[in-house]
Amino acid sequence: MASRRRMLLKVIILGDSGVGKTSLMNQYVNKKFSNQYKATIGADFLTKEIQFEDRLFTLQIWDTAGQERFQSLGVAFYRGADCCVLVYDVNVMKSFENLNNWREEFLIQASPSDPENFPFVVLGNKIDIDNGNSRVVSEKKARAWCASKGNIPYFETSAKEGFNVEAAFQCIAKIALKNEPEDEIYLPDTIDVAGNRQHRSSSGCGC
Amino acid sequence: MTSRDRCDDEPEKGKGKKNVTDDASVSWRKRKKHFFVLSHSGKPIYSRYGAEHKLAGFTATLQAIISYVENGGDNIRFVRAGKHQVVFLVKGPIYLVCISCTEEPDDALRGQLELLHGQMLVILTKSIDRCFEKNKKFDMTPLLGGTEAVFSSLIHSFSWNPATFLHAYTCLPLAFSTRQAAGAILQDVVDSGVLFAMLMCKHKVVSLVGAQKASLHPDDMLLLSNFILSTKSFRTSESFSPICLPRYNPMAFLHAYVHYLEVDSYLVLLSINSDDFYHLKDCRIQIESVLVNSNVLGEVQKSVQDGGLHVEDVPVDSSLRSDSPSPHPGQGRAALASRIGGPAGLWHFIYRSINLDQYVSSELSSPLNSSRLQKELYRAYQKLYVSMHDRQIGPHKTQFRRDESYVLLCWITPDFELYAAFDPLADKALAIKICNRVCQWVRDLENEIFLFGGSPFSW
Repeated sequence: MASRRRMLLKVIILGDSGVGKTSLMNQYVNKKFSNQYKATIGADFLTKEIQFEDRLFTLQIWDTAGQERFQSLGVAFYRGADCCVLVYDVNVMKSFENLNNWREEFLIQASPSDPENFPFVVLGNKIDIDNGNSRVVSEKKARAWCASKGNIPYFETSAKEGFNVEAAFQCIAKIALKNEPEDEIYLPDTIDVAGNRQHRSSSGCGC
Repeated sequence: MTSRDRCDDEPEKGKGKKNVTDDASVSWRKRKKHFFVLSHSGKPIYSRYGAEHKLAGFTATLQAIISYVENGGDNIRFVRAGKHQVVFLVKGPIYLVCISCTEEPDDALRGQLELLHGQMLVILTKSIDRCFEKNKKFDMTPLLGGTEAVFSSLIHSFSWNPATFLHAYTCLPLAFSTRQAAGAILQDVVDSGVLFAMLMCKHKVVSLVGAQKASLHPDDMLLLSNFILSTKSFRTSESFSPICLPRYNPMAFLHAYVHYLEVDSYLVLLSINSDDFYHLKDCRIQIESVLVNSNVLGEVQKSVQDGGLHVEDVPVDSSLRSDSPSPHPGQGRAALASRIGGPAGLWHFIYRSINLDQYVSSELSSPLNSSRLQKELYRAYQKLYVSMHDRQIGPHKTQFRRDESYVLLCWITPDFELYAAFDPLADKALAIKICNRVCQWVRDLENEIFLFGGSPFSW
């Protein structure tokens, strides 16, 4: 019984500092790109409304700081996330190698109910640089890693040129729609005055 | 029957506007008092202004602030930023925030957030917490569909209804025998297995009876009557709706049968059984016929027209003024028509009986006849209330305060609390004398203005 209501999705963006997380967000939400680097402090919060298969989605995007000194914010930030976007720079090997750490750190901090199947999306950013001549992580390598982590959807993007950014976020909505839980009936307790006990309704709440 | 999904209700005024504003709009930022409810993951649940989903970035920021402090093993209570105050209340997985530049004390704002949370429980119960335990991503907004007006009405009542800070209820003034007649028939239906039976006129109690050992907290009455009065579908037909009284049992639903008997008079019968509709309907038919036959409803209408206590009617002896004393309300008022307010510059008062959990408030009249002035007066009372009940340095017994708007006088004894507003030029000694008169007057009239035997804590 899928309803037509709007879905609000909390999306966390993670990745090393300087891989272009904020630029991707700016391109996606504001259609703007700047070559200047401004480090994110803590986190930035953006919203973006999209439509996918006749459903409206509000993406609540948590653009986090990549610097290690902000990692203590993890638990507070990651709670109740619907999707996590891992970003690396195809021109920086270390940022790719760190994807594993980001993913594991996220799963530990957010402790989702089903970590094996928690929706991730991986973005290989900055494919525009030097026409791809400076890239050190091949698409094949990146896809192999994604496949080994439960077939994480993979996109190669350019925040600067706006390439593939929309498609990557459409994918988030697609995953959310696929994982949408069935609406169950919300049934709280009823009171038994005589026995002074509470019955817990069998079906609980639907979520 | 009224289903949980109240989407068919008319949206509140200005709803269209609500959908277009977000936190970047100037009009949104200019609002004096914002209320937000969000989940522990930062998902918006309710916002007084602006469409919730457009404020997702803003609620994310609020969650980040709250959770960051929480991570350090601490709790954020409030932040002052210029003339704005940000007050936080964490209720398990539900976060409530008020951002205000109204200069209300933060304790008062926190009390308002408590009521907002209570209103949410009235609609959904505290079992909602379990949904968040099972699923941190849980989005509560669909379950609150169509209840927008309930929250905006509650927030509005923070500026006109003293029950929101006094934690007491008020009765419609009625002859003792009239209220007794209403109480007797309500008692009959309660004896037949109904948990609570309430006859209300707007937010005022006509009569109220509860089953043995069952007590009704004034805050629950406030939230219940607000829920009923602000949900338009209750007016059009008899309704049966699950409802939670958070102070009675926050985890469970009761089942409320609601029926309007007159324009503003309605009957609420609460049962623990979800299949009690026809029994409650029969009870209502029985009650209605008794109320019509004994003309209780006619008396209720008359009382509404006559209004409550007027400061002009406070009886005083010749030492205080030249007019002859008028021991009964309504008498001698014409002679005083030229004077503004009551004796010695008394403009308004609220008397709260501590044992009865009830208060009586004088009618607002000249010079407090604009809604802005009334709101200011209630905010001043609220401030007074908070300062008198200060946990660190209180409670206090008396307070006399003079500013450019009023003289405010508060007097608290083990039996009652009196809040009075006078002309800013009022004489202190005379004002104190008048306060004594007011208390005596209220006690003289207590059989008509209070409900006896119906005190929640005396059953």
